[in-house]
Amino acid sequence: MWNKPWSLKEGVAIGGGLVLVGLLLQLFAGPVDWDVFAWPVNVIVLSVLLLLLGTGFLLRKKLYAVQFLMSWKAVVPTLGYAVLLTIVMGLTWQVSSESEPADPIGFSKMLSFWPFVLVYVWIALMAGWVAIRQMAYFQFRCIPSLASHVGLFLLLVCGSLGSADMRRLKMYCEYEQPEWRALDSRQMIHELDWTITLNRFVMEQYEGEAVPKRFASEVEVVTRDGERVRATVEVNRPLTIDGWKVYQYGYDQMAGAGSRYSVFELVRDPWMPVVYVGLALLAAGAVGLFFVSRRSVAFEGEGVRP
Amino acid sequence: MIWDCFVYFALVAIVCWMVGAVAAWRQSGKVAIMATSLGLCVFAVYIAMMWMELERPPLRTMGETRLWYSFFLPLAGLFIYARWRYRWVLSFSTLMAIVFVCINLFKPEIHEKALVPALQSPWFVPHVIVYMLAYALMGVAVILAVYQLFFVKHASEKHGEATDNMVLVGFAFLSLGMIMGAVWAKEAWGHYWTWDPKETWAAITWFAYLAYIHLVRSSPRKHRKWANVMLIVSFCLLQMCWWGINYLPSAQASSVHTYSMQ
Repeated sequence: MWNKPWSLKEGVAIGGGLVLVGLLLQLFAGPVDWDVFAWPVNVIVLSVLLLLLGTGFLLRKKLYAVQFLMSWKAVVPTLGYAVLLTIVMGLTWQVSSESEPADPIGFSKMLSFWPFVLVYVWIALMAGWVAIRQMAYFQFRCIPSLASHVGLFLLLVCGSLGSADMRRLKMYCEYEQPEWRALDSRQMIHELDWTITLNRFVMEQYEGEAVPKRFASEVEVVTRDGERVRATVEVNRPLTIDGWKVYQYGYDQMAGAGSRYSVFELVRDPWMPVVYVGLALLAAGAVGLFFVSRRSVAFEGEGVRP
Repeated sequence: MIWDCFVYFALVAIVCWMVGAVAAWRQSGKVAIMATSLGLCVFAVYIAMMWMELERPPLRTMGETRLWYSFFLPLAGLFIYARWRYRWVLSFSTLMAIVFVCINLFKPEIHEKALVPALQSPWFVPHVIVYMLAYALMGVAVILAVYQLFFVKHASEKHGEATDNMVLVGFAFLSLGMIMGAVWAKEAWGHYWTWDPKETWAAITWFAYLAYIHLVRSSPRKHRKWANVMLIVSFCLLQMCWWGINYLPSAQASSVHTYSMQ
């Protein structure tokens, strides 16, 4: 082992080392606290990450490890670790983001479990480096692969870093009472600079069925500038106001159609556009895969090593 | 009720598909394609009738998604046959389709009209159909993997190549299904990814197939055996994602994806 060129064995060892480092961090530093990454820390972290990718790529001829991380021998074992850790997540009961893990190791709060986080960061780094290489040695037939790598990088990095800036609040609106306050998951009150007034709650029922067919709230929104907007909020049809999305969340289930209040969920996610760019790139990469779905054509990138 | 006449449509379709499979073995391509297409048409008519009778897309219960699965398997087989003329592919897809038709015949699930508000979205149909198509392709790929591992002594790389092509196209559909699901989740539940158990298992499946794709890209011949093993494992993970989580204690209470259990 560790004689160049490295093989799958070294890939497995590096991934294992990463998990080990993660376990030590978990033991001594405790679970990952995502709130730390709130603006502007997430932008700083993202810049450092991009800088690391750039310098790592420029120095790749001196740093064999960087070259190795761009190869399938590093990628396949790391994906294997990601699959294993995510299976543990899928098999264990997960606590909410406000709670402490329910088990001594931290499996029950996998999103804050250091080995899990490190492995996914590692995957993002690999995707980033391969994307840079594919840009540096551009070939038309690599476009689907390039789009997929950039997309995956954006999704993993900006999705997780952005989650610290995301706000999810609940607003309880009573009939004809303007409401501007909402509760977060810790039951803290947040005040907004616009109001919602519930004019009417509507509900349609399926005949002889327990589940509702449709429920919706007819509301009037008054923005900070005094602009009045009338709209209907219902499931699958959120309302957008001033960077917030307003979702129909609940109603008085005992009263059903006669509910005198409506519950809205307010969501603000400033990083969403970046994540959507990632999703679009990944989709474009997937569509591109159809056209190059011959193995010999689809597999590229590594052949153009300098 | 529409479900009662399923057996007649299913039988006609199966006979057509079997004729197609036999024709493919005998190298009569035109007959194979025509018979398989005819079977697909019969099956499609049934799905359309069911759609109209239920007044909603038949995509919600496990029984209904199996219906699409048994439709897409021969369809995927037909495409693959038309493109690469593999003789065996229609037999495999027909056999798998028969299995799923039989499950539906002997263990049909409740079919009701009600569709909860969260499912009333333009994303519903493409999201599920694309996933079923991906599952069908992965199903064909895993059978090929089993065939190479246990039934052929000296598998030619031709089979390996076919498997890889199928996984690539299947993976593309898997990605599209996941992306559509994310966009839909944002509209319906406020966030594109919440690590709901169904999403967690979808990620597991996606990364498992991603590992396969990266393994076979460089020296496929050398790693064929391991690649085939990976494909079988990945397919098991896919089953967990599709229906296995319905029986998983950690998922049952918390997943918002358990419509089919209602």
